[in-house]
Amino acid sequence: MSLYDTIIDKIKQVQEYDKEGEPVTSIAASSTLAAEITLLSSILVAVIMLRYFSNALMIIAVLLVASIAIFAMPLMPRFKREQNDSLNSMIFYMILALGIITTLFYWGSLNV
Amino acid sequence: MNPLIALMVIIPITCALLVNLFHTKDKTVKILSIVVALFLPIIPLFTSYGLHYFGGYMTLAQSPVLSQWVPASITNSALNIFHMGIMYSFGSAQQIFIVALGIIAFLAILTSLSETKKASGVYAFLMFMGVASMSAVILTDDIFNFYVFFEIIAIAQVGIVIASKVKGNLEAALKYMIIGGIASPLLLLGIALLLGVTGNVNITDIVYSIKTGLVNPQSPVLLMACALIIFGWSYAAGLPPFHTIKSEIYSRALPHGAALLQAFSVFTLAAVGIVILRIFSYLAFSKVIIIALSLAAMILSITMALMQTDFKRIIGYLAVGELGYIGLGLGIGTSMSITAGLFQAVNEAIITAFLFIGFGTVLYLTKESDIRKLGGMMVHTPKIALLVLLAGLAMAGVPPLNAFQSKLMLIQSSLNAGIPELGIIMILLSIVTFMTFMKAFYAIYMRSKPKGLKISNSKIPKATIFSLVVFLIICIMLGLFPQIVTNYLQPLATSLI
Amino acid sequence: MIIDSQLASFFTAAALIIIGLYAALFLDNIIKKIIGLAFIGDGANLFIITMGYKAGGIVYIFLPDMTVNWFAQNASYPLPFALVLTSIVIGASTLAVMLALVIVLYKKYGSIKASKILGAKQNQETENSIKGDGL
Repeated sequence: MSLYDTIIDKIKQVQEYDKEGEPVTSIAASSTLAAEITLLSSILVAVIMLRYFSNALMIIAVLLVASIAIFAMPLMPRFKREQNDSLNSMIFYMILALGIITTLFYWGSLNV
Repeated sequence: MNPLIALMVIIPITCALLVNLFHTKDKTVKILSIVVALFLPIIPLFTSYGLHYFGGYMTLAQSPVLSQWVPASITNSALNIFHMGIMYSFGSAQQIFIVALGIIAFLAILTSLSETKKASGVYAFLMFMGVASMSAVILTDDIFNFYVFFEIIAIAQVGIVIASKVKGNLEAALKYMIIGGIASPLLLLGIALLLGVTGNVNITDIVYSIKTGLVNPQSPVLLMACALIIFGWSYAAGLPPFHTIKSEIYSRALPHGAALLQAFSVFTLAAVGIVILRIFSYLAFSKVIIIALSLAAMILSITMALMQTDFKRIIGYLAVGELGYIGLGLGIGTSMSITAGLFQAVNEAIITAFLFIGFGTVLYLTKESDIRKLGGMMVHTPKIALLVLLAGLAMAGVPPLNAFQSKLMLIQSSLNAGIPELGIIMILLSIVTFMTFMKAFYAIYMRSKPKGLKISNSKIPKATIFSLVVFLIICIMLGLFPQIVTNYLQPLATSLI
Repeated sequence: MIIDSQLASFFTAAALIIIGLYAALFLDNIIKKIIGLAFIGDGANLFIITMGYKAGGIVYIFLPDMTVNWFAQNASYPLPFALVLTSIVIGASTLAVMLALVIVLYKKYGSIKASKILGAKQNQETENSIKGDGL
């Protein structure tokens, strides 16, 4: 199956999850593709900035992101499903972020 | 002492109370609101720079009457120069912020009064209350006072959403309050840790204590305080993980309300960002976290904006995404980048308000905000379509409009700072921003009208068109002469590094 | 005394915050979630009050028979108490608004389950039309 079909399938899955039952329009498909490409390219470029901390970390991270990009291709439908408007998932991500920020601070202030 | 500084907060609060007092007297409320709103951007123009001390007490060193009663062990210590009461400081940067806030508030209030029939009610009250608190947040030099007004803004924001009769507004409001109920005590905890280490809530004094070594700057308590305050900052501004709820809040308010809500977020982001830089700029890692959060905001929000089908939600996500640019400017941490970031804050507040009110005309005519059900609006409102298109161009950073100048400055400063990746991401996401905007613009204005769509025949109020034109003039003015703003922001940016 | 009372208060504050976070994250009942939020706020307030505590300190009221030096050395720190008072008022008002919203939503849905009222599905109605002129 070509990449385009995979993406259309994924969009359909997400729409079934939303129970909207609308046909996949060309606008929806092209904007999902654009979002996908934007997401991957900007994350790849952002990951290169890890070179300010350590080159090895940067190489590992770039390879990781690239492999995710190849093997888990339509990321955007998943991202959309994760960033939904449900209160419980919002609180979950919030507390996760709180944990990450506070933990990183101890690591970061020692290493940066 | 300059009484006008305090008046910037007192006048909107008084007006808010009077609006409540004259409830059901629509005409009085209308005239009062418009007159006071007109004064909002004018007062800061005539206020001279300086400090305002509430209670009249400055420092022990400056109050000989008090200091003669105090033992020498205190007057000889740093306590002698610590400030005793709440202090407002008004400089050129604060002036620009409050003028921009005042203009947006005036135009939002004017539009809301002309687009809705009920002039009196809680809506105008909440708008004025929010503006007053926002001015206080910009002005205050006291971190606890800042927290208090920050909470009032949060309640005013929720109130504006509750007062709008948009589908799903109550759910969004409750979610925002619950999330705020977790995030703001944690911000308070961060402030409490600062208070515990330095014994002070005045930002100038905290900075003095840290810089002169009265407290140990590497103390882990300060690190925790910084982490918690940055977390609270991301809640206040809507950086991830709060971008979903923030964009939802925008989309569940009426367009004129949303225009004001996003201005609150933008200026809170700038004001708190300045506080964080002032206190914690010695921690190199705080800037890394700011850059990381801003990048996450840009990438996640702009890609999410592409996936939405509701135009208010699209602009909401774009507004949150654009906040990332301001954060990047603050995070790069050079004088030029901070100036550019603050300039971008002023621009973005104006442009997003422009977009919200511009697209709001569609909602006004059709009562519909789903872009899949809209179309053919170009035939009905060609002039508004042009204005909205210009707003979109401004947001994407097309010359000669204002965001071009600030984004250019941001990209240049990222190159000068030796982080070209940030410049690349900024350009990339600007293009995607424009694409997202064009998607909504095409669906609403350019494609043929769907069958089921009912467009009411009522005319767009003149006040709305006036607001849009004023926003456009400001965008062009700042685009051609960015020095009008940057010269005012430069001193603050230089003092931060 | 097994543990210093200031330290005990700090631990209580930490426990309150952690219990509150747990309630907000894992309990589905919105009222229980809001009680959790009140716990977090109370934890933060207790933390601030505890910082103003001074073992053997006196209330910070200057009485005529005190000398200035003695007062400066023995009075507890007044600022946290003033701050907490403000913070409690803010907390109470946000709590009131939240509970009022829960009442309205309960009338609408007949349930106070967060997953039902504030879940993903209710709010993904992209249709976002307004009623009347919106006010």
